[in-house]
Amino acid sequence: MASIVRSSPLLRQSLATPRSSLLSKNVGVSQLVAFHASARKQILPPQPLNDPAPLPETHPSEGSYHWSFERLVCLGLVPVTIAPFAAGSFNPVMDAVLCSLIVAHSHVGFQASIIDYFPAARVPKTRTFLNWLLRAFTLTTAVGLYEFETNDVGLTEGLRRLWTA
Amino acid sequence: MASLRTTSRLFAASRPMFRPAALARTYATVDASTVDPNASKQPAMKTFKIYRWNPDKPSEKPQMQSYDLDLNKTGPMMLDALIRIKNELDPTLTFRRSCREGICGSCAMNIDGVNTLACLCRIPTETTQESRIYPLPHTYVVKDLVPDLTHFYKQYKSIKPYLQNDTPTPDGLENRQSPEERRKLDGLYECILCACCSTSCPSYWWNSEEYLGPAILLQSYRWLADSRDEKTAERKQALDNSMSVYRCHTILNCTRTCPKGLNPGHAIAEVKKMLASH
Amino acid sequence: MARLSGLQREVLSLYRQCLREIRKKPTTEHTQESRANFKAYARAEFQKHLSVNKKDFGAIEYLLRKGQRQLELYAAPGIRNIR
Repeated sequence: MASIVRSSPLLRQSLATPRSSLLSKNVGVSQLVAFHASARKQILPPQPLNDPAPLPETHPSEGSYHWSFERLVCLGLVPVTIAPFAAGSFNPVMDAVLCSLIVAHSHVGFQASIIDYFPAARVPKTRTFLNWLLRAFTLTTAVGLYEFETNDVGLTEGLRRLWTA
Repeated sequence: MASLRTTSRLFAASRPMFRPAALARTYATVDASTVDPNASKQPAMKTFKIYRWNPDKPSEKPQMQSYDLDLNKTGPMMLDALIRIKNELDPTLTFRRSCREGICGSCAMNIDGVNTLACLCRIPTETTQESRIYPLPHTYVVKDLVPDLTHFYKQYKSIKPYLQNDTPTPDGLENRQSPEERRKLDGLYECILCACCSTSCPSYWWNSEEYLGPAILLQSYRWLADSRDEKTAERKQALDNSMSVYRCHTILNCTRTCPKGLNPGHAIAEVKKMLASH
Repeated sequence: MARLSGLQREVLSLYRQCLREIRKKPTTEHTQESRANFKAYARAEFQKHLSVNKKDFGAIEYLLRKGQRQLELYAAPGIRNIR
């Protein structure tokens, strides 16, 4: 299409007319213009077609801080999971740490899958709904674990009993 | 041509005697008389199944079309086979190609289930099995094997892939680097943006609108790691959100598929480390 | 009018976008007819595919993408006429 536009003489005139007025305004700026017999043309005018893709807003708490937090939780889970069974002693503080890490870890993991499979641009309502559902589940899990810890035997002791049952 | 023909009377039976000279040899075709004599005894016919879709008839479904080629008369690479199909069997077959030596990245496609460059992919000599050629997965197809990479290039533009440095050098000459600083760019500058890795990444399949994908992130790291670039902080800030980088779940399909043998997965890990340490 | 499906609404919105872009095109003394030309072109492009089955989602989505691409191209201020 562009070639057709370029080849029509009538159109070239019409293209040239506004340019020449623009050039006469710029005469003071560039004296070189006077030496050109024809109007100077921009070879590559900026076009919206080549605009870069928009980048999302900077948001460290969803970006780098979130990632560091997730890594720390992952690394923390390893010793906390092994320690009580290796040491053979069960104390409520360690249990509490383990429970909170598990809750945080699974929350972050499920959140990642929601972001992956339900893009906000395509299914905004489903996305919000699932995010709230996840929060509800996380809260329920946290409350449930708290009850288990305070009113029952505790997580690690419970697991040990299940193992030996 | 004629002189070759007289000396190779032995193998003349395997090919037509009066081939028009213009058709006789294009660069994707191997003249039977010039190759290994043992190979040209029997035609080794191999089937190529190629994805076809014509945008002029959008209502028609895409389909797989079969082509049979004699491997003895074809060059060793998949691109040779494609060019020969286009030259001799079906001129309507559409694909991108340019350099035929793995430096332009035009001929990226999905060959036998692996994203690779057709010019760097040998034709499997197993003739009983057919080869299947598709366009890059999860891309909008323009025609046949030609994918629409507009968004990929727009994403590339969004990371500002050029040197940003406002301080003039003391001697007014070029920006210098030590060999150690230059060495950091090895394994990064070789990327030709063929989009093989990005289109093999499941995360990129689901979130290509916002997730940058391995190829673009490797390029990001190439500019983050450049000692001459002064806008490292801005670059890091631009990437610091939940979508641009952190949709990478280290699936590492990118590293496995890269036809240039680069490691985009490692580059993304480095980007994450850089972002975490600021 | 019957309730339109999402795809139908997208097609209509593309057509409206085209008309809006045409109104941004310049009309100087030489190119008085350029808007009419653009309009005729847009109409022709849409009418070319009137026969597409309304349940052929793949084809319609492809044509929508193609239309968006064309619109983006012709909306460039450098393009002042079409014929």
